[in-house]
Amino acid sequence: MGSLGINVPSGIVLGISLVVGLVMVLVFGCTSDQKAIHKAKDRLKAHLLALRLFQDQIQVVLRSYVRIVLATGDYLRLAFKPLLFVIVPMTFLIVDVDRYLGSVPLSTGQTFLIRARIDDPDLLNQASLQLPNGLASTAPPVHEPADNRIAWRVIAEGAGDFAVNIQVGDQLFAKRVIVGSGVPRLSPVRLRGKVWERLFVSAEPSLPANKSVEAIDVQYPAREIAFAGMEWNWMWLFFVLSLAVGFVFKSILGIEI
Amino acid sequence: MMPGRKILLTDRRRVPAYLALLALVLLCPARSHAYAGPGAGFAVISSFWALFVAFFYSVYAFLLWPFRQLFRLLRHRKAYAKALIKRAVILGFDGMDPELTERFIAEGRMPNLAKLRAQGTFRKLGTTYPAISPVAWSTFMTGVNPGKHNIYDFLARDLSNYLPYLSSAEIKGPKRSWKIGKYKIPLGRPMIKGMRRGIPFWHWLGEAGIFCSVLRVPVTFPPEKFSGVLLSGMCVPDLKGSQGTFCFCTTRTSDDKFREGGVQVPVERTRSAYVSYIPGPENPLGGSELRVKFEIYPGPGKNQARFTVDSETFTLRVGEYSEWIPLKFKAGVGFSAHGISRFYLKEISPEVEVYITPVNIDPGRPDLPISHPVTYSIYLEKMFGPYATLGLAEDTWALNEKVLDDEAFLAQCYANHEDRERMLFDALEKTQQGLCACVFDTTDRVQHMFWRYLDENHPAAREVPRDHRPTIIQDLYARMDELIGRVMKQIDDQTLLMIVSDHGFKSFARCVNLNAWLHQAGYLALKPGKTESGDWFDDVDWSRTRAYTMGLNGLYLNLKGREREGIVEPGVEAESLKNELRRKLDGLVDPASGRAGITGVFDCEAVYAGPYMDNAPDLIVGYGDGYRASWDSVMGKVTSQIFEDNLKAWSGDHCIDPRLVPGVLFCNHKISDENPAIVDVAPTVLKLFGLALPGYLDGKPWMVGISTNRSAGLPPAS
Repeated sequence: MGSLGINVPSGIVLGISLVVGLVMVLVFGCTSDQKAIHKAKDRLKAHLLALRLFQDQIQVVLRSYVRIVLATGDYLRLAFKPLLFVIVPMTFLIVDVDRYLGSVPLSTGQTFLIRARIDDPDLLNQASLQLPNGLASTAPPVHEPADNRIAWRVIAEGAGDFAVNIQVGDQLFAKRVIVGSGVPRLSPVRLRGKVWERLFVSAEPSLPANKSVEAIDVQYPAREIAFAGMEWNWMWLFFVLSLAVGFVFKSILGIEI
Repeated sequence: MMPGRKILLTDRRRVPAYLALLALVLLCPARSHAYAGPGAGFAVISSFWALFVAFFYSVYAFLLWPFRQLFRLLRHRKAYAKALIKRAVILGFDGMDPELTERFIAEGRMPNLAKLRAQGTFRKLGTTYPAISPVAWSTFMTGVNPGKHNIYDFLARDLSNYLPYLSSAEIKGPKRSWKIGKYKIPLGRPMIKGMRRGIPFWHWLGEAGIFCSVLRVPVTFPPEKFSGVLLSGMCVPDLKGSQGTFCFCTTRTSDDKFREGGVQVPVERTRSAYVSYIPGPENPLGGSELRVKFEIYPGPGKNQARFTVDSETFTLRVGEYSEWIPLKFKAGVGFSAHGISRFYLKEISPEVEVYITPVNIDPGRPDLPISHPVTYSIYLEKMFGPYATLGLAEDTWALNEKVLDDEAFLAQCYANHEDRERMLFDALEKTQQGLCACVFDTTDRVQHMFWRYLDENHPAAREVPRDHRPTIIQDLYARMDELIGRVMKQIDDQTLLMIVSDHGFKSFARCVNLNAWLHQAGYLALKPGKTESGDWFDDVDWSRTRAYTMGLNGLYLNLKGREREGIVEPGVEAESLKNELRRKLDGLVDPASGRAGITGVFDCEAVYAGPYMDNAPDLIVGYGDGYRASWDSVMGKVTSQIFEDNLKAWSGDHCIDPRLVPGVLFCNHKISDENPAIVDVAPTVLKLFGLALPGYLDGKPWMVGISTNRSAGLPPAS
């Protein structure tokens, strides 16, 4: 394990990959037309072999190439059906795991930006940032009128789960900021409305409707996971590991993929 | 959304909701759902890999194509330069009989052959001595007589012990092995030695740069290297190494054994299922035979059952065949043999009976080479699914032994035939220039097994009223004609289409035990006190035996210095004995019918010439119409009766006087020769492709009228 450099995040990815790889193979086996997939793959291999067997006959080579493309399309069509069953739960699973493993919390002493997008550019001048103990502003706010945005440079002076407030006129808007270590659930942005966008990128409740602030974001650094002597984005690691697990289980379970 | 609202949605309304959700998931661009798990990963990687390999090969082929063409041009600059045809398509129909063909053409059952005859040529095609498929097809492909290709029968004899061995190929274990205790670990692959000599004409075509696709021509196992693709035919063994051993699993207890061609295996009842096994090859590590177990679970209604074989599960109704089921015979870690079989459920209640075809070599994972290149059999398997690879794939023994009935046997024949058709049309598509040759065995097997319904007085069908007899052979010929019609639609006027058969067919109503005759005439002696022998000359006294027979047509002298216990002096004595035997046997009358059971006995020194004559029989026996060597005589058994009725389903045959069973020759061009023979096919094809004929060929090229501007003064086809 040591040689693989297993740590908490990579252990989580490994565990998820194992479970997901197995479940996906089972779902693929149950929901796909195994015979048709086997046939489609065989056809694909046959046309590939034809390229080699009849390589002196350019017409056959050309025809085989076209047939390979068609057979690939056929295979993808068959593989799409099991994909329909898993894509929604998988997407939500990945979105949720991404909140834990996609970014790391801010560290003590690190400076970062808190940005707010406001509907009315005239209100930018009225916006102010209220910071709790542990966070401090390091510079005056910067206005970006072209984007209706205002940004504050902040320094994390201590660890904690903080709520920062942005006041616009008499309206108050909160945003969660986490400083520390480990694998907490992070929300880089808080949004108003935009249900689907919130579903994928935000882990906080919606900002109040019919109010002036549209979005507040904090830029957490991306997480790099050390595994097998390399630094990985968690999704690439999940991609590789879940595929490897899937390929192992498909052989054990005799499922055609 | 209201909490209870979802429940109120009808199914129809749920579908668009789900699809909308899915579409949103798919369409909303976000990093977090760029990858949707291994399912998508598998699909993407697999298809990407296929496209990558295809692309690589295509680029490779495109880039190298000019160089390859240049190389071909330099090496094969004469390819097609003098050719009179662009392509030759040869369809072999094993055993297609000219008399039956003419009769069925006259009856209007074969319109395509009628058309071919009218536009081109129809002739009787002279066969070989003897008129046996491996002999005739060897002559077909090499253009030489058996004295030069060394195939005289399915079987040859071992001079050291008078026992038979397969004449076409020899399979031995690997040269070296490593012995550890009771285990013997083979070091290397099994050794396969082809016994057929002579060079097939497609070798010369390939040398000249003419591409060839050759499918299931008999005696092409082991496959030889040449420039083209080839799938081996007749003589390919099953996984056990035999020429086809079926398995009959039954709960019925019986001490009866199948004499040849099959084994009976008990089915045992457990609490929830019936259990049996399929016997496989010998364990290469030593010890007993390998087996694959299977379970049978009777289904509801007592007319179906579920089978589990390894990880395969399938359900069969009574009277139904399974698809090809993969079988893995495990010998130990790293040692396994791969085969395929089809299961046929005969009965599930009150007893259980299952027929299993011989275990064919798996064409997708061949443990022995069955094609050239090896990938060709794999290509065909991937293209069309698993197929029969055994040389004699149609299980005639199972019908003979009444394990299969007529219907089940026919179903098996035509399933194999359909696979072969698919392969042929694929080869036709891939071979737009060059040679495409394919042999169909169905004609031979079906005629062997169903001639009894064609022969009004056949003893094996006496119980079937004449007006109730099925028209199986008539249907067979019509079906072959329909296939020929489809091929005719695929060829142009620069293609030569040739329909050939290796021999014709006649009834096999009466058996002749030549060993019995030799015994009674004093040429073969049994040990004291014996009146009959066992199989393979058990109880024959060789010290007093001057002649013997085994196999289908060969008669051997027990020659001193050649046979282990030979007593006949070579030279004058041997010649005199041959003449005496010829005189006495020629015209041998069957006392029951008054007809001649033997119509010709041929001296091999007169009919053969070549370097392998030492392996030939001394005499070839030509049985009369309606007669053939008895089942016992073929297996070297001496019985008390010389003539007897043939009561087996195997009721038609061709291993008789070769003059009585010529084959057919149809061609889409005019052939002026009046007496063509199968030995002429090879030189004719070589000549049509403009190649010089090797000097050792025995055949003579026919004068073929090619209706192209390039024809050299030959009469054009009408």
